[in-house]
Amino acid sequence: MPTMTLRSRPAVRRGLALTAVIAAAGLLAGCTSSGASAPTGTGGKPTGTLNFIVSSSDASDAGFRAVNAAFEKKYPKVKVVFDAIPNANWPATSASRLTAGNVDLTLAGPKEIPKYVPASAKGDDARAADAGVYVDLSKESFMKNLTPTVLKATAYNGKQYDVPTGVSYYTGIYYNESIFKKYDLKIPTTWSDFVTLCNTLKSNGVSPIGIGGKDGWPAGLTMISAVQGLYPTTADKDALQKGLYDGSVKLTDTQPAQVLDRVKQIYGFAQQNFAGVSYQSIPSGFANGSFAMTADGTWNEPTLASAVGSKFKFGYFPIPTSDTAADNATLGGKTELSLAVPSNAKNKTAALAYLNFFTQPANYAKFVKLSGFASAEPNVPASAFLNSIAPYTKTFNPAWDYIFVSNPKAGAKAQFPFNYQSISPLGSSSVEQAATQSEKDWSAGLS
Amino acid sequence: MSEFFPFGRRASMRTTFSIGVVFVIVFALVPAVSVLVLSFTDIRSIPYIPVNWIGFDNYVTFFSAAKLGYNIQALLNTLVFALAVTIFQNGIALLIAVALNSKIKGRTFYRAVVFMPTVLGVTVIGLIWSLIFNPSAGPAASIWKLFGANSAFFGDQHLALPLVIFVQIWSGLGLAVVIFLAGIQAIPEDLYEVASIDGASAWQRLRLVTIPLLAPSITANVLLCIVGSLQSYQIAYVLTGPNNPATQLLSLAIFSQTFGGGNASGSSASQGYAAAISMIQFVIVGIISLAVLVYLRKREARM
Repeated sequence: MPTMTLRSRPAVRRGLALTAVIAAAGLLAGCTSSGASAPTGTGGKPTGTLNFIVSSSDASDAGFRAVNAAFEKKYPKVKVVFDAIPNANWPATSASRLTAGNVDLTLAGPKEIPKYVPASAKGDDARAADAGVYVDLSKESFMKNLTPTVLKATAYNGKQYDVPTGVSYYTGIYYNESIFKKYDLKIPTTWSDFVTLCNTLKSNGVSPIGIGGKDGWPAGLTMISAVQGLYPTTADKDALQKGLYDGSVKLTDTQPAQVLDRVKQIYGFAQQNFAGVSYQSIPSGFANGSFAMTADGTWNEPTLASAVGSKFKFGYFPIPTSDTAADNATLGGKTELSLAVPSNAKNKTAALAYLNFFTQPANYAKFVKLSGFASAEPNVPASAFLNSIAPYTKTFNPAWDYIFVSNPKAGAKAQFPFNYQSISPLGSSSVEQAATQSEKDWSAGLS
Repeated sequence: MSEFFPFGRRASMRTTFSIGVVFVIVFALVPAVSVLVLSFTDIRSIPYIPVNWIGFDNYVTFFSAAKLGYNIQALLNTLVFALAVTIFQNGIALLIAVALNSKIKGRTFYRAVVFMPTVLGVTVIGLIWSLIFNPSAGPAASIWKLFGANSAFFGDQHLALPLVIFVQIWSGLGLAVVIFLAGIQAIPEDLYEVASIDGASAWQRLRLVTIPLLAPSITANVLLCIVGSLQSYQIAYVLTGPNNPATQLLSLAIFSQTFGGGNASGSSASQGYAAAISMIQFVIVGIISLAVLVYLRKREARM
């Protein structure tokens, strides 16, 4: 049976023209979007739905949920719709929710970049703040509840666009006090002490350190810890970054290469096949005594405490990567989950009321207790664990990744820019090879 | 030649055809052209940030000295992944299809078992194989231990890609088997009888009867497999994460750039750069697919 033929060429041409018009309209729409929608009014009593999104972590989710419940109790006409989004999905989900205008409270942390860093390295949150995407909270009365030094660290071009919910430290290592007691081990204060301690554990058949290497970033904590000891002050880290950007410091130089050497040695003390172990399985391994220590952030203390229960006591100390004890006396940290109000939020009144409620010391104390974060407000009682690390956190000392601005033009091996991922067994390179690779990728990105 | 219209009139045919065309334009053509245009901009994931026309900058960045090594490695990984998945998946699927076409007891059950992974979601597949290849306490570690060996499995730079390929084959095998089975069942039984009378062995029947007459199914399976595996990133992502250099694929780099979650391929969430990688990948997939299609069509004609 013959098939029909399409003879109407003008119809085809019309179709093509229509296609072109639709495509052009779509493209123009994609290229002309600039400037946030006009802010909606604020003021009055909060009512309606408050759409609130955060990137998920068990402990902080529990803290937010407790505050949300208390907020709804105080403002019964407000319904908090809280979405804790898995970290991997956060960038896409938050961007789409922001685009759709159906989020009233989200996370953002615009950061200033030094003048010697190219403008192309500016982060998305900073670009968004420049474009008026977030509400300026500088003049809100509740900002006075926060610690001035924390506010200073989070200010962007002299303005406050976010409310940091706490501080975390992550250049330290958790240790099992029972195992330390059993082998008569003391908290090490220098690199050589630390190496001796790990060798003692190994010689007794105990894996010294647990690392969730499969996820990549937990191994990166060892690199950040190494920088913390070898470049202990903020001025040291700033000078390192400036030297890297102006080319006067090479990643193959002795001190930068020493960072990778420390990482390599720590990998050597990690549990067998740590490169294939997930971060989620670390708390149970630590609780079971599979390893004596685990490099992790203070954000995970509630999870570790829950896994360990009453089996043993554990503590936390800075990984002493320097041979000078004084350089190992501080923990590097960062401000955590900073809350921001989008300019196109439909319920700005409720969002600001929530921030006001959240920052009240009594409510904030509930959050801090459950989240495990160190307080971003003065006079909020800290947990016993945070009190135990107080000697290392007298002043807020930003960790390397909080200071370092990644160069988008640099190659993959120089993103941090210390190439911890290539070092065997996480990667397949020696310290020298990894340093050479990262220097090549870094210097190529400077031209 | 008389004209025939399925529903008696030209108008109804035009209406249904137009609806299809509109869908293709709105959901395929416009996004595709948009991606091409976006690849010349510095658009980012967060809305309301000004978007600038930057010409070929994203393409220059892709081929820059800083990025080229990584991108070539990702391309090589992608080609190895696609080649291995295509060859092994189709080879194994063909043998299973032939076996499941024979009159064995419980073949319906076996067919269901083989097809089962196809209906599982990628996340479920990731969870299953992550547990199996857990180096601390997974069953694979126990088997390795029997031989006095141990491995980090997905954390092992030399083993990660082969394992991801294995899981990809496992998950895609069912569909390939079904397509081959359909093709085999369409082969007249007489041909096998004639071949048997002529004294053909089982191998000869497979090589000289089954495979030539399965040519259209082979073409379909191979093309589906090549296009699918060149664009696949999901299994590598769930099993080894977005930044593992051993399993870095071009599609995974695009995903990481577009939707975040990774930083190994450059600055995070630069959608303009991701669009540029997409266009490069489109050209590569297009060239390979067309070349294979032409080759397989010629091969079909020869058979």
